[in-house]
Amino acid sequence: MTAGDVLRGSAEKRWTSWSSLRAERWLGAGAGIVVALLVLPPLLAAMTASVGAEFAPLHRPDIVLNTLLLGVTTTMLAVAGGTGLALALVPGVPAKAMLERLIVMPLYLTPLLTAIGWSWLASPRSGLVNLLLRNALGPDFAINVISASGVIVVSTLAVMPLPFLLVSDALAGIDASLVEAARVHGAGPRTVLRRIVLPLLAPAALASALLVFVQAVGLFSVPAVLGMPADFNVATTEIFRLLESYPPRVGEAASWGLLLLAITALLTFGQSLLLGRRSFATISGKGFRPSTKPPRGRRSRATLAWFYVILATVLPLLALLWAASVSFVAGDLRLTRFSTLHFDNVLFAYPKTWIAARNSTLLGVLTATIVCLLGLVVSWIILRTRQAGRGLIDQLSMVPLSVPAMVFALGLLWVYVRLPLPIYGTLSILLIAYVTHYLPFGVRAASAALRQLHPELEEAARIAGATWFGTMRRITLPLLRQTMIASWALLFIMAMQEVSSSILLYSSSSIVLSVAVFDLWENGNPSDVAALGFVQLAASFVVVGLALRARHQPSFS
Amino acid sequence: MSAEAVIVEGLEVAHGPTQAVRSLSFAARRGELMTLLGPSGCGKTTSLRAIAGLETPSAGRVVLEGRVAFDQAAGIDLAPERRGLSMVFQSYAIWPHMTVFENVAFGLRARRAKRDEIAASVRRGLEAVGLHALADRPATRLSGGQQQRVALARAIACNSSVILLDEPLSNLDAMLRMEMRAEFKALQHRLGFTAIYVTHDQEEALVLADRVLVMRNGLVEQTGRPAEIHDRPRTRFVADFVGVRNVFPCEVKQDGGRFVAILDNGVRLQLRGEPAKVPSCVCFRPISVSLSPRPDAQAMAATLIRATYLGDLMEYELRAGGLTIWARSLARGDLAEGAQVFWSVPPDACFLVTA
Repeated sequence: MTAGDVLRGSAEKRWTSWSSLRAERWLGAGAGIVVALLVLPPLLAAMTASVGAEFAPLHRPDIVLNTLLLGVTTTMLAVAGGTGLALALVPGVPAKAMLERLIVMPLYLTPLLTAIGWSWLASPRSGLVNLLLRNALGPDFAINVISASGVIVVSTLAVMPLPFLLVSDALAGIDASLVEAARVHGAGPRTVLRRIVLPLLAPAALASALLVFVQAVGLFSVPAVLGMPADFNVATTEIFRLLESYPPRVGEAASWGLLLLAITALLTFGQSLLLGRRSFATISGKGFRPSTKPPRGRRSRATLAWFYVILATVLPLLALLWAASVSFVAGDLRLTRFSTLHFDNVLFAYPKTWIAARNSTLLGVLTATIVCLLGLVVSWIILRTRQAGRGLIDQLSMVPLSVPAMVFALGLLWVYVRLPLPIYGTLSILLIAYVTHYLPFGVRAASAALRQLHPELEEAARIAGATWFGTMRRITLPLLRQTMIASWALLFIMAMQEVSSSILLYSSSSIVLSVAVFDLWENGNPSDVAALGFVQLAASFVVVGLALRARHQPSFS
Repeated sequence: MSAEAVIVEGLEVAHGPTQAVRSLSFAARRGELMTLLGPSGCGKTTSLRAIAGLETPSAGRVVLEGRVAFDQAAGIDLAPERRGLSMVFQSYAIWPHMTVFENVAFGLRARRAKRDEIAASVRRGLEAVGLHALADRPATRLSGGQQQRVALARAIACNSSVILLDEPLSNLDAMLRMEMRAEFKALQHRLGFTAIYVTHDQEEALVLADRVLVMRNGLVEQTGRPAEIHDRPRTRFVADFVGVRNVFPCEVKQDGGRFVAILDNGVRLQLRGEPAKVPSCVCFRPISVSLSPRPDAQAMAATLIRATYLGDLMEYELRAGGLTIWARSLARGDLAEGAQVFWSVPPDACFLVTA
């Protein structure tokens, strides 16, 4: 057999499989191509954009160290804290359901607002907490959040919901009999925790550690608000500074992106070595029973959770509200006067508010819709077909999880500045960045939902004469409606709040709300920032409220 | 039109490196009820799904009502919705977001039937399974048995001439299963559709089928009418599967014009007729064994190890020269555990199988 025979043979084989009229095959190939086009060009560009330029990190070892410090400490604190919260919230804890919802609130708030809120609370001279404490403890007292430790603590508060969610899921999947067997065989609660529960949670905790690390080193807003004034710079703020300088030093910025990429790639590889083929095999299909025994120390468990909720959500939001509604901030709290001045300013005087609101809403709706549909198609291909290369599509669609958003944006910038496509500086480039960044979320959410749906429900429709599209429209989508709307809403909020890639890709006509907030923070009146932040939150929650109303409309029981 | 409603030729289905179906060929005549019988993992469900177009075979041909639905060599692979079939799934696959009526009407709507035609067909389908009173009920408010009936009504309402059934009764309790089995048989007889019915339950297969196809490891082990499969299994596997518990390796010798099977322990069993192929085992059903506490001319001695109460019958476990022999009969008071008994099998009841 010659090489020509081999080629001809494979060509014939391909032809026969393509000649059959199966919509899902074309769709599978199409989805693969779309995912590859979204993920690969910016990734390759991010890797190669710094070629020829100086490798900037070599000259700023301090920033490299700061970045690693932020990544490692935030990851350790957030995973420990998230695991602790998950372990604390066992059934029987007062207000468990509400606490679970409140703990994940930071997912719906941009870290930018949390950081700004905390700067109102604990900046050394005029922070609210400091003003109050100084009255009580004397004039020298100060908590300083404008510092390295401030950046780390606020970043930790912002990313903790991720490990909490993943570890909670794993915890819920542990069969009670595993714990009971250990108790019966003589292990006390502490030994059970150490020898049984924690090892079973380890894969989930480790998986979340990687996600948190990527988030932490890719986080721009927190170090920009709390770190830069204290001269605590990290890779993301450095990328921003290099691109803001005139002329923009793109090559050097790209070398920082390459550094982040290298670190996260190394860690992803390390994680796959560590976890190997070990899966979360804690759920044992038959006779699965979650634990029902009431826990000890219910009150203190709830207190721990409330403590996190207050630090991560309640206090920063209250601080924002306060800042937005006082006419001016004075060193003496007794001089405080309330007014709607700042809301008037951002709604009627500040020219960017309305265009940014329009852009953000449009981007949010488009991103959430596209990611939901693309995620559904990709996960359908992965779960429901035996199509060749579906494993590759799966892996490709997960790549954005291990690439900081800012690095992707840098790659996109590099690609579309060079392509003769009129995309640069428009909403389209932001849309591409958002869709790529949130694609893994869409695929995961749709996979989880599809797994719950017996394939025979779809197959029965095909046999009954419905086409692939007809089956999707009349069986799959209606059945997944609830979960799809929920993930649509979450995607919408996340897109509304995105900062890290928007800050590199926006132009004056494609400005979005979170960038407008940051812009005001840099140049304007800090009280107006708080007001605009509230406008941003209000806009996202109105749309989500509408979406969730659609979800609760009775369709079938 | 040909007499065959379903023709499968050289069908092969690969799941990665494992060959789930290896060269399956059979033809089902119009109006025939054919069961694919075998243990789990034998490839019967995969074969059915390949006929439906839900799996893509790696080789072979599927012809439905004279129309080629799949042909690897010619590059033909019709989508499931273009094969004009109906199917009843193991999980029933009743769509929970629709009413009973909408479930049954789905296939007619998908095939763009007229409104009054849909109403008539749905009524006919639901009446056939006795559920016309529940047409407007949401599908989630149905019992398991009712869901099963809706699945059947949905398959019938489409007027497909071929209906595929994938272990449709396996999720029902024993009583309901018997009832549905009889109903389905009557329905199939009345409406005259061709049915390919997958099951792992030999009793179900034998009771229902016009023809049974026994599968093993992706290959056909034996095809035949239920009585043939039941009374004359050709291989040891089929014999085991249809409940012939006494299967013994043997040598066949000619002894004065008659054939005799000689077991490892020297027991000689008279055979009727002439062995056709190269047989290696002799078999007989427990019910064919006659027992007696007293010796007679034909009987052989054994020890009664255990007598087990089975309800209608007793099952006796005998030991003779290192072999265990199973016998069944009405309960009798003259046999005691541990005592010597005498057993015999009429030549008619003995048959030979290959290993």
